[in-house]
Amino acid sequence: MTNFMIKTIFSTFMILLSVNSFSHHAFTAEFDANAPVNLTGKVLKVEWINPHAWVHMEVEEEGKKTTWMVEGGTPNTLIRNGITKQSIKPGTVIVVRGYQSKGKLCLPRCIANGRDVTFPDGRKVFMGSSGTGAPRDGADPRERR
Amino acid sequence: MKRLIVVSFLLLFSLLSLQSFASEDHSDMHDVMAHLLTPASEKIWNASGFIITEEGELSLAPTNQEEWNEVIFGAKVIMESTFILNRPDRSQGRSDWIRFSELLEQIGKKAFEAAENKDPEELFEVGADLYQACVACHNVYMKK
Repeated sequence: MTNFMIKTIFSTFMILLSVNSFSHHAFTAEFDANAPVNLTGKVLKVEWINPHAWVHMEVEEEGKKTTWMVEGGTPNTLIRNGITKQSIKPGTVIVVRGYQSKGKLCLPRCIANGRDVTFPDGRKVFMGSSGTGAPRDGADPRERR
Repeated sequence: MKRLIVVSFLLLFSLLSLQSFASEDHSDMHDVMAHLLTPASEKIWNASGFIITEEGELSLAPTNQEEWNEVIFGAKVIMESTFILNRPDRSQGRSDWIRFSELLEQIGKKAFEAAENKDPEELFEVGADLYQACVACHNVYMKK
């Protein structure tokens, strides 16, 4: 019974957290600095929109496919860093390091804040925004100055 | 039955706790941001850019005057918000606050011109400037 109650309360809590909308926010408002992710998968869709570009990717783990929606910096920042429409086309297999959202139910998809992306040629590029309160994890070249 | 009552009680307690935890900040500045600047910014952000899938590229640029008018509305609100933010009780004479606020007038003006000229590329650029201005100010003044 105890397990049942804990599960019930935990599920309720997580559902309510997950329905918080993703608006224009500080990192800490939406993402969990203690939940780093390392995602490898095929790009499905890229939204080149302000204030954040979003990369949708399909990640396959143990035979199960999951769609992840990864938040990047502004499109202009990405382009300045060398991430372009040509380099991140749908179908490209990329590796993204970042942090998962505080809501982890992955309904209808998982959400993460992207810190850097590695392309098939091995090029690793910062894909986030500076000054949003994300952890100082070495991904942002500006933090090293 | 007893089990159901206990679980119901705990669920209710959990919901009430969460409601309290997640309750919105209704401070003066929060409400200005939430009800004025954010919706106005979204008029600009949502009207430029593109979505790329395997099927092709979809532009988000306005396609008719009515949609451009929405951008013009947002741009004007951003421009005029400078004066709302610079109300003496809000600015409290803080020079960087005033500087950040005045930046919004310039950015709003650029967005207005981009909309008047129906220039989605320029609007896209201005949208990025707007976000950078928001972040710069939030880094100083927004409660973490």
